[in-house]
Amino acid sequence: MFYRLAGVHHTRYETARALWPVPADRWQVAIVALLALAAPFFLSSLYLGSYLLPWLIWSAAALSLTLLMGLAGQLHFGFAAVMAIGAYSSIHLARFGVPFELALIGAGLTAAVIGSLFGAAALRVKGLYLVMATLAMQYLVDWVIINVPAISGGAQATLRTPSVSFLFIPLDTLSARYYLALGWVALVAIFFLNVKRTSFGRALVAIRDKDFAAAVIGVDPFRYKLMAFFTSSFMGGVTGAVLAFCYYRAVTPEQFSFNVSIQLVAMVLVGGLGSVIGGFLGAGFVLLVPIILTNLVAGMAAAGWFTVSSNLLAHVPLMIYGALIIGFLLFEPLGLAKIYDNIRKYFLVWPFRHSRS
Amino acid sequence: MKWIRRSVLATALIAGMAATGAATAQEQPIKFGLLQDFTAVYTFVTGEYNQGQRDYLTLINEEGGIDGHKFEAIVRDTGNQPQRGIEAYNRAKEEGAILFDFLSTPVSRALVDSVLQDAVVMITPVHGRGDASDGETFPYVFPMMATYWSQATVLAKYIEDNGGLEGKKIALVHIDSPFGREPIPVLQDLAAEKKFEFQAFAYPSPGNEQSATWTEVRRYRPDHVLIWGAGGGQPVSVREAIRNGIPAENILSVVWLAETDVANVGSDTMKGVKRFEAVSTGTDSPILQRIKEKVVDKGLGAGDAKNVGTSYYNIGVATMAVAVEAARLGLEAEGAPLTGAKLKAGFEKVTNFDAEGLMPPVTITAQDHQGGGAGRVSQWNGEAWEPVSEWGAAYQDIVTKEIQQGAAAFKQGN
Repeated sequence: MFYRLAGVHHTRYETARALWPVPADRWQVAIVALLALAAPFFLSSLYLGSYLLPWLIWSAAALSLTLLMGLAGQLHFGFAAVMAIGAYSSIHLARFGVPFELALIGAGLTAAVIGSLFGAAALRVKGLYLVMATLAMQYLVDWVIINVPAISGGAQATLRTPSVSFLFIPLDTLSARYYLALGWVALVAIFFLNVKRTSFGRALVAIRDKDFAAAVIGVDPFRYKLMAFFTSSFMGGVTGAVLAFCYYRAVTPEQFSFNVSIQLVAMVLVGGLGSVIGGFLGAGFVLLVPIILTNLVAGMAAAGWFTVSSNLLAHVPLMIYGALIIGFLLFEPLGLAKIYDNIRKYFLVWPFRHSRS
Repeated sequence: MKWIRRSVLATALIAGMAATGAATAQEQPIKFGLLQDFTAVYTFVTGEYNQGQRDYLTLINEEGGIDGHKFEAIVRDTGNQPQRGIEAYNRAKEEGAILFDFLSTPVSRALVDSVLQDAVVMITPVHGRGDASDGETFPYVFPMMATYWSQATVLAKYIEDNGGLEGKKIALVHIDSPFGREPIPVLQDLAAEKKFEFQAFAYPSPGNEQSATWTEVRRYRPDHVLIWGAGGGQPVSVREAIRNGIPAENILSVVWLAETDVANVGSDTMKGVKRFEAVSTGTDSPILQRIKEKVVDKGLGAGDAKNVGTSYYNIGVATMAVAVEAARLGLEAEGAPLTGAKLKAGFEKVTNFDAEGLMPPVTITAQDHQGGGAGRVSQWNGEAWEPVSEWGAAYQDIVTKEIQQGAAAFKQGN
């Protein structure tokens, strides 16, 4: 009823391969896109700047990482370092006088080159050993940033982003920065949706499922793993630059520490490996739920619902958050994307009981 | 689409509150945003520090406020994450907060620009970027107590007054982070001026494993060791120093060494260790007595009564004492309602304020937001931190040079 399938039949391959063959999905996407475009007009600057904007940027980061982890099956525990490389190189390029558009691409390329360098070294190993190798990248990059004043910006280790404009629109206002972030995350999402339908994407999936089987059918694992590292690091680097210019506007090494890498991995896992909607939901969950819980618990305490010490009060949201993660993973190990998928499938055949998959 | 509905609702709610708030502005309390890290890196200090801040505000409210103006603290956990700090800051700002204390280097660094733009006050007592002491470059940022640079010079001055600096070997053993590196330039300049040998040794963050570093320190055979860390790294530093044959009397610490560290190291082992102190410890001062009588004994305290009078608790009290004094001066000079700009003007009028003997006299001017950079050295005597020097600032010419360099770099975008 909600997802009318009547009249959806395909006479051409193009329509059968469309991203959203069902009209209801197209409507949903269109409505979300419209709401996102209109957000600066109906959201206060608090919700636009502190919730929606970081959510979009971290979604782009989660999508970049999920290309590597979800599609190609390569674990990466140093993705914050990739973003740091992007952020720092974009700022230094922009300060050097390079136009911001080119600085973004430069940031992506630097991150991609360094990221795939580490990737290449890491490709001899798999699984947990790859985790260790990428962890090493995280710590090496952190160390270099902190210990080279030319990169970190001197004694205070803070670099402020110069004021720049993107395609002649100055990034001085919150709306301008929001639209740039929105544009980037839309680009990443569209790329990700499409990459799954290309030979490159299918090669990655083949490697993820069994790399020597993929080699047998003619997919060169080394080459494709490296390409996966390159692509993912490129997107991560640009996302880091967008994060620096659109959100933080002053970068310090702590913003890209090991914790952030873990958060990114959590976003990908909680959201659901290898899905676009999972990237968005996972980023929203990991990023926003702690904030919302903190405010909720503080509000309830202020209203006198319960009186506990401030120290415990600060930890209550963390306990709830932890319980939520465990709960979600027990309830649906495949992540939030799978929960969305289940709901969609339920309504696909509603009011009948059974869905096909 | 739930989040959109929720946020639209919340926006409407806040807008409604703002509308009704304007009508009752006269009775509105003065709001301070204490958006700190209760759960991640700064847990060693935040609990006691925040408790001291809130107890002092409660004391002022119990005593009738300032000309009838009461104070309200907005307390939130940021988990040391910049993005959570940014959210908490924007929210508290909408609720009307005009002073912010983040007690977290990453969060306060990320928000310096916003604070300057929004014309609200940010205090960074005994932490935060030292160059913010330059009031002309950072009009709304107030370190208001000795910065790390001034702490290093006060410690150096103590060594000079007790045995001299010339020809000595001084080692700085620090955590490998921007905070740990901060005193290096000041100490290098001092070494050139006072002709002593100086070397810095870094240990990796978070500092619970330092043995490799201390082997090197031992080889260097320093006369005095400055330890520059915070939280869990500090007791490890003290223990390693003593294990490597450095007498406890020759260990001097940054401000972050307190009762908890004594408990972790062991009171007897710790005996003799010295530290920088920005605010006196214990409950002897009149303000602490009044807090005990009017807040804690009445059951209005913000936390465990046994924390009252600890090092970090008293620092918290002192920060709010200065802030409330600034609010009083701001209201006196510019009238109600108090805004960020008026509070800033109030801060710059603070003259010789010592919080009834709790801290060294502070004078903040439009140029100097550090307030003089005074402090003293205290020593653990087995039972308490006993002051071993007088309140005072040292070598502020070298500190000023650093401040100017940093401020100039900030103007260029660092």
